[in-house]
Amino acid sequence: MEQIFDIYLLEALINGLLFGGVLALLSLGLNLIFGVIDVVWICYAEIVMFGMYAIYWLHAVYGIPIVPAALLAIALTGAMGFLVHYLVISPILGSPPINQLLATGGLLFFLQSFATLLWGIEFRNLGLRLPVLQWGELYFSYARLLAFGIAVIGMIAIYLFLTRTYIGTAIRAISQDREIMTLMGVDSRRVYLVTSVVGGSLAGLAACLLVLQYDVHPFVGLSFGPITFVICVLGGLGNMIGGFIAAFILSEIISIGGFYAELEWGYVLAFAVFIVVMFIRPEGILSKKS
Amino acid sequence: MIAKNRLKKAGLGLLAAAALVAGAYGAQAQDKEIKIGVIYDYTGPLAAGGSKLQALGAKIMIDYFNSQGGVEGYKINAIYADAQSKPDVAINEAVRLIEQENVDMLLGFYSSAQCVPVSAKVDSLKKFMWITTCISPAVLKDRNLQYVFRPQPHGGLFGLLSPEFLAHYSQEKLGIAPKDLKVAIIHEDGAYGSGVAGGNEEGAKKQGFKVVLKEGYSATAPDLSSLVTKLKRARPDVILHTGYNPDITLFLRQSRELGLRFKALIGHGAGYGVPDKLFEAFDKDANHIFNVDPVSIWLVKPDLLKAGLGDITKMVGERYRKEEPDTKEFSAHVGMAASNAYVFFSDVLPRAIKDHGGIDADALRQAALATDIPVGGTLMGYGVKFNPPEHAMAGQNDLASPVVVQYIDNKAHIVWPRELQSLDPVLPLPSSSPYAK
Repeated sequence: MEQIFDIYLLEALINGLLFGGVLALLSLGLNLIFGVIDVVWICYAEIVMFGMYAIYWLHAVYGIPIVPAALLAIALTGAMGFLVHYLVISPILGSPPINQLLATGGLLFFLQSFATLLWGIEFRNLGLRLPVLQWGELYFSYARLLAFGIAVIGMIAIYLFLTRTYIGTAIRAISQDREIMTLMGVDSRRVYLVTSVVGGSLAGLAACLLVLQYDVHPFVGLSFGPITFVICVLGGLGNMIGGFIAAFILSEIISIGGFYAELEWGYVLAFAVFIVVMFIRPEGILSKKS
Repeated sequence: MIAKNRLKKAGLGLLAAAALVAGAYGAQAQDKEIKIGVIYDYTGPLAAGGSKLQALGAKIMIDYFNSQGGVEGYKINAIYADAQSKPDVAINEAVRLIEQENVDMLLGFYSSAQCVPVSAKVDSLKKFMWITTCISPAVLKDRNLQYVFRPQPHGGLFGLLSPEFLAHYSQEKLGIAPKDLKVAIIHEDGAYGSGVAGGNEEGAKKQGFKVVLKEGYSATAPDLSSLVTKLKRARPDVILHTGYNPDITLFLRQSRELGLRFKALIGHGAGYGVPDKLFEAFDKDANHIFNVDPVSIWLVKPDLLKAGLGDITKMVGERYRKEEPDTKEFSAHVGMAASNAYVFFSDVLPRAIKDHGGIDADALRQAALATDIPVGGTLMGYGVKFNPPEHAMAGQNDLASPVVVQYIDNKAHIVWPRELQSLDPVLPLPSSSPYAK
């Protein structure tokens, strides 16, 4: 029986699915920002890192219950999104893409160093140990189930926000043609700011779920930044549904590849697939742009 | 009368000249200094993984010797540099310190991934390098380095010690004959993890264990669940793990969440050497984890050491507490760097100055090669005698050895070797542990 149906393979598949939820959530905000403002926030994972620190300080140090602490952290990263756009992106909106990339890259190092200066290099964690769901030989992490569920809800909420609200419609319109919309009297600066705040808040949401599973330290972005960027590119930069699907494709390749071969091979395979897709569809699997 | 006056003047002149010469000599003696480049990771993931604590241990010792007036009239001028947890930065900093700051030697280094390239570079520049920490055998093995010395036990010994410990207790405590004991070896895939894992494999083979899984992973991997699933499938009795800090906590967290069960977990230094962090993250779940590391200087009974060393250990502890007042359990990392720095400043450097003519690389090398400290002559208890140049691991301390400790309620207890044992090891994991098989 075990030869026909390997319970551990099923576990690896589920692991991949749940890890995909974490990655999908991370890619959501980055994709939204790129889709609308056309600037890649290379420092996105560092904003997530600040969100994780915020929850740590609010909950573990100041004793604020976890849910209000999480909401405050989301508000903080939303404000960071505003500041990043207002202070860094806005002045260079008309500059060549490479300059914008360098500016957000510089911001990445600034945020890492600033966090080191403020809080040192210590690894910190909430010390929370969520219960585990057991079904026969299979175990499910509540933290990951939560991340998966919230990623799906987040995706639906963003979809509804973009399709059912006035500002959401404006955001979509701007992302389709920023010049025409400006000529038609739409205040693009306001739309950009709203998008940055929403993108920053999504980073905060991701932080809420990551902090349940990972230690917080100034360099936590090193583990997530590159793969989040790869997911966004694979899905088609700016395409949220594409990013969502790409997150699960990559996470399953990593998980199944790592299950059958050495763990490192999972990543090798995932990036090999990424390279092949880039050759075949340079615009990504579901790109809205050609 | 004139002759008398002349004599007087000549006498005064001589006195003045003598005073000038003495003054100049005195000033020269005061100005003498040894300029040392001290390189550790003060930022980046390795900093909290133990490197910053190692840096603190080295600094405590440098400050201590300076407060005692230096070494043989030489003041220690330490220039501290941050390798930022990156090998390329470590190389650049080493070269900068040698070529621009004109340091006489380098001291420190936490990461083996940095030590491997830096040691080759420093040796090619004919500068002296005193490694306090990085343990990979690859740093010295078959490289015939002339100016690089490591008083620290190497990773191969770390890797061999855990199987030796297990073989001794397998039947008695686990009720499993060594030939039937299933072990899994997992490790971060850098020079450090691979070196220790190589020793694990060699030791497991020697003891006749069944190695059911051996696998490396990147220390910055965001997910280790596939590895945990494979371990569940392989069903090892004991897991031998070598990693830094974020990967260790991620592994333990995901192991608990995915229901991995085992009878014992043995870590090998680095992240496992910082019990405060393990207990902060896992509280009582971190109980009964084993760790192979050079012994913490605070666990060594002072009466086993040379007279006076107990006071040095006490001094290091006091300064450590002053710098890190929130520390609950002293980390072995601080004592390790302090002890290895102490060997240099109290034994090698004075000999270089007195017997080999100064502080240049050749004098320091000759002095290091002549080191012969018996057991009990260092803060960590082991002796120091470096392998000669023709040896496969030239520059390695042949008398260094680690110990196995077990953590219970954030306290480390020596469980192996038996001569130093302070606790009968708790094996297998008690049923109170979420990892208990």
